[in-house]
Amino acid sequence: MLRVMSRRGDDRVTWDEQKALVGDSEAIAAVREAERIFAQERAKGATAFRVEPGKPTQRIEHFDPTAEQIVMVPRVVGG
Amino acid sequence: MSFITQALTALGWIVVALAISPMVWLILQPYFKGWSRAERRAADLLRDTLTPEQFRQLTWRGYLEVPSPTEPQRVYRVPRTKGYVQVIENGRAIMRLCVQSVEALPDADVVVLHKLMIEANEEIYLQKANKYVCID
Repeated sequence: MLRVMSRRGDDRVTWDEQKALVGDSEAIAAVREAERIFAQERAKGATAFRVEPGKPTQRIEHFDPTAEQIVMVPRVVGG
Repeated sequence: MSFITQALTALGWIVVALAISPMVWLILQPYFKGWSRAERRAADLLRDTLTPEQFRQLTWRGYLEVPSPTEPQRVYRVPRTKGYVQVIENGRAIMRLCVQSVEALPDADVVVLHKLMIEANEEIYLQKANKYVCID
């Protein structure tokens, strides 16, 4: 799942990695959509984190469809 | 005469009601805000991101303590609502940090933002933060 923080809470895109691997067109489209949003948010300065229960949070530079959950936070500045 | 008096009284009450309605709204706004869709979604993400113990700490103490991944004696105290993040070293507040998103976010998302940045991006987090040193 990709979760992008915004003023609306967070926008979510989900996909089924197993179905995408066997060529399911809907699952592949969902992965591509998530990848597109990931790239778009990164271009705006967002930071992406791989967040999985029981594992340390990891900052990622590239979209990873195998991640259970990716959380993207908007660009931050000193206040 | 009586009708005019009644009309003026009613008008007076309307004026009073209009005058105090912004104050009433300011008092009630946080409760309505808590019910908004954005806040609910942000609260879901917060619950998914925190352990039950961390969630309890945030609820009851009003802040979340995030240990520094690089400095064992350092803890970041993230408030539940908007405000400074305190840097605690060896039990003493040494600094306050101000870091904010360029986009307005619900309060619960702001807590998650700080937590993720500190845990996985501490160096950049500290670079971006405006720092206010605490002096005893």
